[in-house]
Amino acid sequence: MKSRLMLLARIGLAFAVVTGCAPRETMDPPRCENGSVLLAAQSVPTAEMIPCFSGLPEGWSFSTVQIDQDGTVVELDSDRAGSDAATLRFTERCDPSRAVSVPSDLEEADRFDDIERLEPGFRARTVYLFEGGCVSWRFDFDHDASATESVALEGSLMLLSRENLNANIRDTFIDVDL
Amino acid sequence: MDDVIPGEGVVPGRRRRPSGEPPPLPHDFDVAAIAWLVAFLWWAAIWLWVFISDDPAIWITERDLEMMRPIVDLRTTWLTPTMQVINEIGTHWASVVIGWTTLLGAIAFRRVRHAILFFASQSVIAGLVTLVATRIGRPRPLGMTQLGDWEGYAQPSRPVALLTGALVAAGLTLFRPRPWRRRWYLLSIAVLGVFGFAQVYTGVDHPTDVVVGGTVAVAVTLLLYRSLAPEAAFPIVSRAGKTAHLDVTGARGEAIRAAMSHQIGFDVDEIVPVGGESSAGSTPLRIVGRNGDVVFAKLYSSVHLRSDRWFKLARTLLYGRLEDEARFSSVRRLIQHEHYMLHLFCAAGAGCQEPIGIVEITPEREYLLVTEFIDDAVEISEAAVTEELIDQGLALVAKLWRAGLAHRDVKPANVLVQRGRLRIVDVAFGQIRPSPWRQAVDLANMMLVLALGNSPELVYERARRVFSDEELGEAFAASRGVAFPSQLRSAVRTDARHLLQRFRELAPQQKPVAIQRWSLRRLGLTLWVALIALAILAIFLGSLADIGLA
Repeated sequence: MKSRLMLLARIGLAFAVVTGCAPRETMDPPRCENGSVLLAAQSVPTAEMIPCFSGLPEGWSFSTVQIDQDGTVVELDSDRAGSDAATLRFTERCDPSRAVSVPSDLEEADRFDDIERLEPGFRARTVYLFEGGCVSWRFDFDHDASATESVALEGSLMLLSRENLNANIRDTFIDVDL
Repeated sequence: MDDVIPGEGVVPGRRRRPSGEPPPLPHDFDVAAIAWLVAFLWWAAIWLWVFISDDPAIWITERDLEMMRPIVDLRTTWLTPTMQVINEIGTHWASVVIGWTTLLGAIAFRRVRHAILFFASQSVIAGLVTLVATRIGRPRPLGMTQLGDWEGYAQPSRPVALLTGALVAAGLTLFRPRPWRRRWYLLSIAVLGVFGFAQVYTGVDHPTDVVVGGTVAVAVTLLLYRSLAPEAAFPIVSRAGKTAHLDVTGARGEAIRAAMSHQIGFDVDEIVPVGGESSAGSTPLRIVGRNGDVVFAKLYSSVHLRSDRWFKLARTLLYGRLEDEARFSSVRRLIQHEHYMLHLFCAAGAGCQEPIGIVEITPEREYLLVTEFIDDAVEISEAAVTEELIDQGLALVAKLWRAGLAHRDVKPANVLVQRGRLRIVDVAFGQIRPSPWRQAVDLANMMLVLALGNSPELVYERARRVFSDEELGEAFAASRGVAFPSQLRSAVRTDARHLLQRFRELAPQQKPVAIQRWSLRRLGLTLWVALIALAILAIFLGSLADIGLA
């Protein structure tokens, strides 16, 4: 028994080294097709709409995901626009004062754009405002990347209503609201 | 053969341990660690069930929410701020403070192994929590407003796990088992109870998140510490005590009594630890028999084996393979070596301690080397060093040279005077066919030991009767750095007569003997150790936040 305990302990030690050396495993980003969006919804309890991803365009991948009591932050890498080229923030409040209102591609929210630079190296901020919360995109592309990369990425973002999420929880899980 | 009577077997008093009977001090079977491991595995089974079916997740969540509602109903304007403060302290500060205290305490008390294990156990806990939490993906309690700080998924509760791990590790690293560790654990239970309640009250954790987080942490920490730093081998002692000195009361004391009686027919009346000042490689004991006989014994365990390995590694890094730096592979081989050396020293007539035998306490882990007790003896530093004693000391070295032996640890604590006769003890570092450098060092060290109690001029004059001028010149050309045992170095330094300098003036000048041995192996080993140290440092600094230290 003692030698087995030793073996387990040594495996644990190896695990510690591996977990210490390995890249940090990040959380799941809020995806529209599974329960990971619930945690994002809890991060901004006032928001009527919850952002979620329905797949990503070719060349984009999730880098880090941070979800806590202050909101949700998702950073994305691109093989063309560079690492951490786009950052999505879901918070209770945003400041769109420097941005201009533009027709929104998400009908549940108002859109504001603040383009600092088109090229070289697209740099811009897009804000979606809705009842009780907001979503903002921050783009900071490498010099040779085209601004159109952001359009495809924005297209992968959807807004789910809290009401629909609650109904879904009641249907498939337990009889409570978020 | 005198204890075997033809036709009657072994005489009474000695007893052979039959197959299947446990040794005097069996390997400890840690019930607490096993119980926590079972609890952890039970939760692991539930996690597996949750992975393949939603039913248990629904059932557990319903029960969790049922338990939470009465607690959440307690929310009042005066209690909520208190619970929020507790949530914040427990989540952001408590594990940082306890963790750093534990780490720095471990370093201050020279418990390097405990410090490494603290880092390892917190890393395993953090890694395991991350792995499981991302697979389960449990949201924070549904239908409740979260009033406190939280981050990521709910189960297992990360702050509870890290705080629990830090508290348990602190108990195992900083406190002796009784009574302080027990008191620390009682305090920890109270702290975790309050923190767990605050987590549930503020709606950031379900009750099972708290329980699972705590269970994972206790199981991992206990398993690592009890397996890799068991109390028997790595006892927690006060700073004043030597870490190499094992507690010989309690179960170990009883085991020593039984083993001495059964294996060498010596009925023990009293076990007294001795030689605490200068012995670090073993636990020296004076053992008094029921019949009044007294023997000397050195208790060796795996902790001493590891000390020997670290010592040899350090020497190899500092000087290269100056001598045989091969490590002992087991405690048994370590004690066999010293036992054999005692016989060789005695055969050489070098004023040795007569060996009596080796006594097994725990197979492969603890052994006693029993020798005669040199009664009515004092350390040479407490005796008047006469011309007669000087001659004996020099003759002793000459005998070792003739027999092809080196003591390698000649210092005041190892040279005793018994009724006017010089005796040399502790031959653990003894070597057969040593290098000429080592033989020269033994001579120089013996002359320094003798000169501490008399004049260097007299010692040198007497030495010329036994050794040639070239040999004396070589001795003091060799005497530097690694050659000095620390006790001798310190005694020579505090002596105002500059003994080493004086001997070098008396002896013919010789070119200093080079003690640095450079080889590809040494360079590779140095590079390897430096890389490992850097990697550990990088991992440590990079993981501070993950393991609750930042």
